[in-house]
Amino acid sequence: MLTIKNLKAAAGEKEILKGLDLEVNAGEVHAIMGPNGSGKSSLAHILSGREGLEVTEGTVTFEGDDLLELEPEERAAAGVFLAFQYPVELPGVNNTHFLKEALNAQRRNRGEEELDSVAFMKLVREKMELVSMKPELLKREVNAGFSGGEKKRNEILQLTLFEPRLAILDETDSGLDIDALRTVSEGVNAVRSEDRAIILVTHYQRLLDYIEPDFVHVLANGRIIRSGDKRLALELEKRGYNWITESEAA
Amino acid sequence: MTMSTTAEEIRGYVESGYEHGFVTEVETDIIPPGLSEDVIRQISERKSEPEWLLAYRLKAFAHWKTMETPEWSSVHHSPIDFQKISYFAAPKKKDGPKSLDEVDPELLRTYEKLGIPLEEQKALAGVAVDAVFDSVSVATTFREQLAEAGVIFCSISEAAREHPELLQQYLGSVVPHTDNFYAALNAAVFTDGTFVYIPKGVRCPMELSTYFRINASNTGQFERTLIIADDKSYVSYLEGCTAPMRDENQLHAAVVELIAMEDAEIKYSTVQNWYPGDEDGVGGIYNFVTKRGDCRGDRSRISWTQVETGSAITWKYPSCILSGDDYVGEFYSVAVTRGRQQADTGTKMIHIGRNTSSTIISKGISAAEGQQAYRGLVRIAGRAENARNYTQCDSLLIGDKCGAHTYPYIEMKNPSAKLEHEATTSKISDDQLFYCRSRGLSEEDAISLIVNGFCKEIFNELPMEFAVEAQKLLAVSLEGSVG
Amino acid sequence: MKESEGNLIRQLVRDHQPAVRSSDSNPWLRVLKKEAASWVSDMTLPNRKMEAWRYTPVDFIDSTAFADVEEGPFEALALTDIEELLLPDSEFTDRIVFVNGYYAPALSSLSEQDGVELYTLEGKRKLPAELKRRIGQADLSDHFFFTLNNALISDGAVIHVSREAAQQHRRIELLHVTVGMPDPVIHNPRHLVVLESGAALELVERYASLGKSRYFNNAVVDIHLSEGASLLHTRLQEESEHAQHLTYLNVNLETGSHYEQVSLALGGAWSRTEARIHFSGEHAHAELDGLILAGSKQLNDVHLEVLHEVPNCTSREHFKGLLDGNGKIVFDGRILVGRDAQKTEAALNNENLMLSRSAEVDTKPQLEIFADDVKCSHGATVGELDKEMLFYLRSRGISKADAERMLCTAFADEVIAAISGPAIRDHVKKVVLRRLADQGKTS
Repeated sequence: MLTIKNLKAAAGEKEILKGLDLEVNAGEVHAIMGPNGSGKSSLAHILSGREGLEVTEGTVTFEGDDLLELEPEERAAAGVFLAFQYPVELPGVNNTHFLKEALNAQRRNRGEEELDSVAFMKLVREKMELVSMKPELLKREVNAGFSGGEKKRNEILQLTLFEPRLAILDETDSGLDIDALRTVSEGVNAVRSEDRAIILVTHYQRLLDYIEPDFVHVLANGRIIRSGDKRLALELEKRGYNWITESEAA
Repeated sequence: MTMSTTAEEIRGYVESGYEHGFVTEVETDIIPPGLSEDVIRQISERKSEPEWLLAYRLKAFAHWKTMETPEWSSVHHSPIDFQKISYFAAPKKKDGPKSLDEVDPELLRTYEKLGIPLEEQKALAGVAVDAVFDSVSVATTFREQLAEAGVIFCSISEAAREHPELLQQYLGSVVPHTDNFYAALNAAVFTDGTFVYIPKGVRCPMELSTYFRINASNTGQFERTLIIADDKSYVSYLEGCTAPMRDENQLHAAVVELIAMEDAEIKYSTVQNWYPGDEDGVGGIYNFVTKRGDCRGDRSRISWTQVETGSAITWKYPSCILSGDDYVGEFYSVAVTRGRQQADTGTKMIHIGRNTSSTIISKGISAAEGQQAYRGLVRIAGRAENARNYTQCDSLLIGDKCGAHTYPYIEMKNPSAKLEHEATTSKISDDQLFYCRSRGLSEEDAISLIVNGFCKEIFNELPMEFAVEAQKLLAVSLEGSVG
Repeated sequence: MKESEGNLIRQLVRDHQPAVRSSDSNPWLRVLKKEAASWVSDMTLPNRKMEAWRYTPVDFIDSTAFADVEEGPFEALALTDIEELLLPDSEFTDRIVFVNGYYAPALSSLSEQDGVELYTLEGKRKLPAELKRRIGQADLSDHFFFTLNNALISDGAVIHVSREAAQQHRRIELLHVTVGMPDPVIHNPRHLVVLESGAALELVERYASLGKSRYFNNAVVDIHLSEGASLLHTRLQEESEHAQHLTYLNVNLETGSHYEQVSLALGGAWSRTEARIHFSGEHAHAELDGLILAGSKQLNDVHLEVLHEVPNCTSREHFKGLLDGNGKIVFDGRILVGRDAQKTEAALNNENLMLSRSAEVDTKPQLEIFADDVKCSHGATVGELDKEMLFYLRSRGISKADAERMLCTAFADEVIAAISGPAIRDHVKKVVLRRLADQGKTS
């Protein structure tokens, strides 16, 4: 589904990704781990189309199309979803209104029928139960005044609502307590399917206890230096990142 | 600064009145009062100036005669009679002193009274002091050290003789004589000032500073400062002044020009303590200054830091012209007005280039019947992509007879720019005072503590040695303010 | 740049005098107009050297030969003629309509209940002395356009609200309609609203026009709130895109009174509001929310003065500007706290959103504080749509244009939501949405 070949990217003068390769197929869950500054979030941002990073070399193909050519809203319609690490607040924009607009825009771009208000509310309420979100949050402004946990839950709500082909979760576990973590993970696991691929960007192993990955990759210094299965994550937990980065350097 | 020191100092100052209010009895060479082309020629001759400099003065004088005295809405003063002022007062000297040993001991004693004896300065942090005694520079210390670095730090008079090309190229290029009434007057009759040139790539090895005072009666001070920081250089300059007691109002109309080239940085700090006038507002200094910084190379940076506690009337707007890419302008100010002082000050930040940024933090403290106005202009031109400005103006009122006013002008012509302005006005709350006092502080000390906290951001920008002096100045300025 | 001289308008004032002398209007009104006319001939026209007019040119007054409006032609106007402008009748308890500066009784409808009395300056009903006294009370003698209004007053409403009205929940629409004339015209309506002690009222002051004619609406509105009175004031300016609009609004607040204003400046080529909020009694409160739109070829200016001269009063002003094309907004908000006004709490905020390269904002929030036991603050921001917010919306599938529209609407909504009156709210929302849709987001 997603093929990344020799991806190099820079922020201004500084090179962040230095030749990254990754292959993700439908039905798979990949975890990308790495020390701070390795480029994990940068990868997530490039896949979603955020400004500030320039791709200097390499390709990113999503379901046969060149992903880098698409505008952010086109990527969303194509089925790419990024759950932000720090979701921005939108004062004055009603949460329900926003979710409906977004969903219908995506459906419209795909040539699907849009949902009317009744159908939409029914759908949204279903999904809110999946992520144990309080219905009041629908009436509020997008992320404004939300606690850290509520913001992350809002992201996962969107994940369940938009049903993307490829979901990228950028450090979704950061700042969450155990209960929030469990709820968020339940939401993610509920959308695991054969047609869907999930990339978890995370620093800590903890999330992977709840969402079991099929593949674990270590991203360090702008490149994937080691890949394995979930046991790799456990090794990292025990020995820290230096173990791998040093052995690679050797 | 410990609490007990402050209390002692306060007592000390109260008992001694205005400490710096005295006159040094030294022979001075004065041109009789009056302003005419003849007077200007005399000034130029006594300073042995080159032709081009005399021509510059005369041109400015001709222009000044066509201008009208400015009137400002919130500052009131009796009209100034320019013919009653003497424009030149230099101590008679045979030859310039070659080292401190050769300086007139009477003069040195003057400086000791000022609290900054040159010897001590030398021992301190190696600060070079260009001590301007009225109108002619008397001693310039640390020449050798600076000469090694290639830094030129001398009086304007000397620059006219030793570095005429540099002076001619830059003098008047940031504040032209046509700029305003007092700039024109200054260009015509300036008697001296400081000239600094930092060559490419040099980080000036010490803080540069000039202390000067107005001495002889009826001598207006028309200082001129020109600082040029060439590519990739850095200089920090401090201007601090005191003045003696006089009955007639004395005029101080200075011009400061700063030029920063590519990747250069100039930090200009002022600690000002001119005589503010007696309790009835009589006899203080009129301080009308034009200060402007011109960033002339990518990534250049100019910052103005000032602590103003004196003068009867202050009118000054240090400004920065950010005409190129990545220029940075900063303005940090603490102004105290008490007694019957009036201050109308602020800054102008003109954004023209791309990615320019300016920061303005102004703290005003008004006590007794002091009146203070902050007048700022932030102008963002159509081409100023991504300009950024942050302005914070806070006023603290002590007592119910003073006033604090804020007039920010914001002119915005570019949508990618981002501008934020905030201002607050408040007083020291009774709760805060009570809390301090319940912990053993006197009311004076409590106020001092709270006010210092209020001004902390600004003091942090001052060169270290002078931050301490500034804090002391602030403490003393506020003594007796709480009725 | 040649400063405007105002010769054309001065000539108009002179030409108008014979009509004043021979008219059968109230004598006191004739005296007021005559005196004002003599001042107009000597006063300097506002120009850039005057602080209050530094950013707002008045060239239009020199380049347009405005004609006086004569009453008469509009007596035949029926409601059907202005239908397209009307908001649902159910929204208001009373409607007072002025056409081209003159009261149009045929188009107006007043509730049967007492509690609110309506007089008009040119009407037959004699104006009680206390009300007469309040006209011309504000000292704006050095304001050119205010004096001009005095010299040329066409007509005006005097709305007198007594205590009974508080229970009646009256919402009055004061609607100014302009009908296009062959030549550009100048209207000078002069209104007075007086609320007696304990009275309460909702007033919707609205300016609209049929078609896109050229005219200059030079209005003066005096509002006086007696002790404990409360006024909810909605100001809706939807003038023709070729028109000029100026309102002097003077609000006097006595002890314990309460004034809330929501203003929407949407139309006009050149529009200016000078509002003075004057606290003359303690424990009074004023809050003003405003939305200012400035699209291509529009200049919109708001000059506010909030004068705290007595203790214990609170004020809050929040004005939001939205600019597009080569629109220009001038904002000047001055808070003055006098020596005796201890325990004042005053806050002023101006936020501006620029959507295009060639728009311009000149904003100047000011504080003049002479008392120390006060809490005063002001803020001003200018910027464009937040890039992070735009990206977030687009990453969820919303197109760039829709995302921009959503954020602009959210920006404007904060003010629109404060409008009391559902039909008015809806109407304003539609107008704003249409404006955002019509104009592109790039310069």
